[in-house]
Amino acid sequence: MSKIAKINLISILLSLLSTLIIVSILLLVLNKNPFEIFSLIFSEVFASGYGIGQTLFKATPLIICGCGLAICFHASLFNIGAEGQLNAGSFIIAIVALKFADLPFPMLLVVCMLCGFIVSGIFGLIPAYIKIKKDVSEVITTIMFNFIIFALINYFLLDFFAVKSTMHTEKIPENAMLFKLSDIIPFFQGSSLNASFFIALIIAVLCYILIYKTSFGYKLRAVGFNETASRYIGLKTNKIILIAFFTGAGLTSLAGINFVFGYKGFYEMGFASNVGFTAIAVALLAKNNPVGIIFSSLLFAILDYGGLSINQLVPKELMLVVQGVIILSILAVDRLVNIYFSKQSSLDKIGGIA
Amino acid sequence: MHSVEFKNITKCFGNFTANDNISFGIEKNSVHCILGENGAGKSTLMKILFGIYEPDSGSIKVLDEEVHFRSAHDAIDKKIGMVHQHFMLIDDFTILENVILGNEITDGVKLNFMYTKKILDELVSKYNLGLNINKKISGISISEQQKVEILKLLFRNSEILIFDEPTAVLSPVEVTEFFNIINKFKSDGKTIILITHKLNEVKEISDRVSVLRRGKLVFETENKNNELDIDKLSNAIVGEAILKETMKKNNPDYKKSDALSMNNIFLKKNNVKVLNGLNLVLRKNEIHGICGVEGNGQNEIADVILGLEKDFEGQFKTSVQKISLVPDDRIKKGMIKEYSIGENMILKNSPKSFITLKLLHGISRKVINDYDVRVSDVHASLGSLSGGNQQKVIVAREMGVGNEILIFSHPTRGVDINATLFIHNKIIEQRNNDKAVLLISSDLDELIALSDRLSVLYNGHIIKTFESSDLNSFKEDKLLLEIDTSSNRTLYDEIGKLMIGIKQ
Repeated sequence: MSKIAKINLISILLSLLSTLIIVSILLLVLNKNPFEIFSLIFSEVFASGYGIGQTLFKATPLIICGCGLAICFHASLFNIGAEGQLNAGSFIIAIVALKFADLPFPMLLVVCMLCGFIVSGIFGLIPAYIKIKKDVSEVITTIMFNFIIFALINYFLLDFFAVKSTMHTEKIPENAMLFKLSDIIPFFQGSSLNASFFIALIIAVLCYILIYKTSFGYKLRAVGFNETASRYIGLKTNKIILIAFFTGAGLTSLAGINFVFGYKGFYEMGFASNVGFTAIAVALLAKNNPVGIIFSSLLFAILDYGGLSINQLVPKELMLVVQGVIILSILAVDRLVNIYFSKQSSLDKIGGIA
Repeated sequence: MHSVEFKNITKCFGNFTANDNISFGIEKNSVHCILGENGAGKSTLMKILFGIYEPDSGSIKVLDEEVHFRSAHDAIDKKIGMVHQHFMLIDDFTILENVILGNEITDGVKLNFMYTKKILDELVSKYNLGLNINKKISGISISEQQKVEILKLLFRNSEILIFDEPTAVLSPVEVTEFFNIINKFKSDGKTIILITHKLNEVKEISDRVSVLRRGKLVFETENKNNELDIDKLSNAIVGEAILKETMKKNNPDYKKSDALSMNNIFLKKNNVKVLNGLNLVLRKNEIHGICGVEGNGQNEIADVILGLEKDFEGQFKTSVQKISLVPDDRIKKGMIKEYSIGENMILKNSPKSFITLKLLHGISRKVINDYDVRVSDVHASLGSLSGGNQQKVIVAREMGVGNEILIFSHPTRGVDINATLFIHNKIIEQRNNDKAVLLISSDLDELIALSDRLSVLYNGHIIKTFESSDLNSFKEDKLLLEIDTSSNRTLYDEIGKLMIGIKQ
């Protein structure tokens, strides 16, 4: 394992540990037994096939969306607009699926994914273009685009596509849906886990290869590390930023496959319930490593699903507190670990300062 | 009397011994030069003296009193001051504000500017610093910034002054000025410690010289009547016979077309004219040197040629698409310091779309062998290598792609003697291979030794170009380190004056 990977792993584990400690103290203050609470969460998840299935189901969109964000983050582009981007893409996916319902199944899925990808990607391109041309921070533009996208969806959904007196589109035909795992493996009986989980895993692996194993990935990360140097080395930094934003934002749309093709069969306003924001934490916790994102998504999914079970003892909002503490811990611990190691490595590079 | 005495100083970082049992004394009221290659341990020793590091063993005496510094504060209390290579100044503050920062003279809580100003004005005139202390740092030149750093030390009554490569950023005239200030300090009874790479300057200014190599003190000598033996000194620094041969240049063939021409180029940046009617022609098979005080448009020339700066007026013609650059600031512009050697190489020229560890390993190995890069771990990040090794990797990358035009901007700044000679040979090799080379530098010796033509840049345009006949008369077959500046004083003087805008 490379040194950077080692440092990353240490800081991730330390931040999880410190989260555990902080939350335990909080629970003790509330006069609850932390051990009891945590074991309740885990038993809820792992006691039944249903629990495991639901957890994997909840992890699916987080993995896809987290991978999209990781591509942006690697280029040092802080995309906060995933929630909007993924809604735009999912909306298009649902509509295209309805319009072309008579296409043979795998074709339909591919066409839908492509359309969703392009639309979300374009919503990513706009902030990137503004950043390049006018040097406006993408943090501001992407967050504002969330509002714009939701207003647009609202308009098109309610005026043209929604089933009367609901907030969702019509259902796509049953034969176009992805299969549920419980149909094949009875163990997952009753859970909504579906084939899009495998799509998520494939996306994660592809992203990993793109970021760490291709020459484009190296250029992408170079821009993230040092844009000035990248420009002087001769990389087309603007083009790389545009591609990164397009691909990253485009990928987030595929998170909608889980809901549209695997679960309900339609697009519904607010279906994502903040996946786009939770995915930021997921990507941060995994240090933007797509394979790591699979695991951090699982962790957040466990907290999400397991959190339901502790409602009688503590408010389930506690899980939001846990998520928040995780983010704070990552940022704080990361800094500490880096200071510690940079002190050590400045010792290695003593030659550089003589 | 010794003002500083090192006794058996040892400092290890992990397995690496940066200072190995170093003992020597620094006379009060003298200029003491400390020499050595990158990584020899000079900076470590100075940082120990300045309280930034604590030694593993050994002791330091300041004015015959044993001291144990735990931080730079302790050292400052003992009247030790240091001017770092990178200045520690706040751009938006005035000189006055920068100098008093951390050392304010106050009436209760209110700053006493009147009194402070009086003290500073006295110091400025006493040492001929020529500073207007109400100016902001952002509006003054590099050499003036250095004087602000010096003023800081004077304001704190420092008696022992440490300078880390102070002349690297100065033009010849400014160096003379700087040495005048140093001599004034000496006559005031202060002790000056200089870290430097430039042996000619050592000969001129030092009273005593200590040479470090691989953490050990290997050579010490007096410099009586400036009769220092530079050959002996450079051998002590490198520890082996240095690469004496510079490559021979072949004869240029000027019938070939020009590689690039810039005609009457004007460029504004933040409403300041940085290029003012610049005319420049680069020919194949030729090294065109550009000398000048920093900030007279050197970086902008490079930016225009590279196509990074497009909003200029004037005519720019070249048939060459891809241009290589070895930038002036290698950390900021030249490399991804988090990446390994191989990873930095593939950014410019990737042989494949898919990158495997094996591929990276092979590329790294080749650079390490061909360019004599010294690393303990092939996969180490470039940021962890010494400056000279980083520079070799950048040079390797830029030469590896075979571009027709190469720009070298301060290619040997902060690079040790062997690496410098190595890089110089590589530059000449490129020239002999019919490439057009633009060499931007502030090191006159380097420029005169390498250039076929030499242009002096002042205020955004070239005020004089020396043809090869002007230069050749005294550099033929001479070695870089042996250029006898005294016999060619006239040329040096002329260039030095041109650099500050005085035409003869």
